[in-house]
Amino acid sequence: MTFSPIIIIQDAQEAQDAEASDGISTSYDSTWTAEQIPEQPPLGTERFMLAQDKIFVVLAVVLVIWFGIAYFIHRTDRKLLDLEKAAAERTKGESIRE
Amino acid sequence: MTVVIIGGFLLRIPKLSILEHTARNLYYHVPMWFTMLAAAGFSAYHSYKSLRTGSLIHDIRAEEASRLGIFFGILGLVTGSIWARYTWYVGQGIWWNFDPKQTLAAIGVLIYGAYFVLRSTIEIPRIRARISAAYNLFASATLPLLLYVLPRQLDSLHPGAEGNPAFSEITHPLMRLVFYPACIGFIGLFYVLYTQRVRVAQLKDQLAPQWEDD
Repeated sequence: MTFSPIIIIQDAQEAQDAEASDGISTSYDSTWTAEQIPEQPPLGTERFMLAQDKIFVVLAVVLVIWFGIAYFIHRTDRKLLDLEKAAAERTKGESIRE
Repeated sequence: MTVVIIGGFLLRIPKLSILEHTARNLYYHVPMWFTMLAAAGFSAYHSYKSLRTGSLIHDIRAEEASRLGIFFGILGLVTGSIWARYTWYVGQGIWWNFDPKQTLAAIGVLIYGAYFVLRSTIEIPRIRARISAAYNLFASATLPLLLYVLPRQLDSLHPGAEGNPAFSEITHPLMRLVFYPACIGFIGLFYVLYTQRVRVAQLKDQLAPQWEDD
C-alpha cells in the first residue's frame, strides 16, 4: 500500500464535496459519490464492453443468466439419471429374486 | 420469455447518461431478485406447513424452493457485479464495490447457504425437517429487512436509496411493458424448475425408503 500525496489531497477533496452536497450525512463510499474519478482510458475487455452504447454489458448479463439456468437444468438431469439407474438396478434385483 | 428477451433488446428506451443501453439490464437483473423473493416466500410457506403438519413433502418443497432461491440470488449478484463493473466503475476495475444493497444481498444469500449447511448436519429426516423449517422461517424474515429496509437508509447505486429516485418515478411506461412480463416469466421459470426438482426429490425418497426409516 503506497499513498502518494496527490491521492490524499484528492480524497480530502472528495470527502468535502460529498459532505457539502448533503449537509447531514457523510459520504459512505468516497469512490462513487465523488465527481472527480481518476479514470484510465478503456482497455482490453472494457473497450469491447463499452462499444455500441454498452449493449454488450446487457449481453454479458443475459448470457450469465442463460448459462446459469442451463447449468441448473443439467444438474437436475444428472440427478434424474442417477435415479433412473437406481430404479433399473432395483427392478433387476427383484427379477433375480423372483 | 423469448418475447421478453427480444423485446428487451429491440424496444427503444429513454437514453440516460452513464446507463445508456445498460438500462436494459432492468429486464434481467431485477427479476432475479423478484424471483429469489418469490422462492423464499414459497420456501417459508412450506416450512410453515411442514411445522404445522409434520409431513415430509412440505420439507422437500421448502428445501427445493430455497435451493432455487439461492441460485437466483447468486445469478442476481453476478449480473449486478458485471453491470456495475462496466457501467459505474469504468477505468477502475472494481468488481465488488460494497454497495449496501449488494453487501446485504450477499449476506442474505449466505443466510440461505447456512440453511443447507444446517440441513446437511442432521441425518434423521423428521428432526431435520423441524429444525430447518424453524431456521428457514427466521431466514425469510431477514430478507425484506436486508433487501428493502436497510439499503434505503444508506447511499447506494440502487433506486429508492437516499438521493436516488425510486423505481416508480424513473421508469418509462414502455420499459414496464417488458419489465413486468420479464418478472412473471422468470418466476414462471422458477416454478417449472422447482416442481421438477421436487418430483426428482420425491422419487429419490421413494426409491430409497431404507434411508427414511430411522
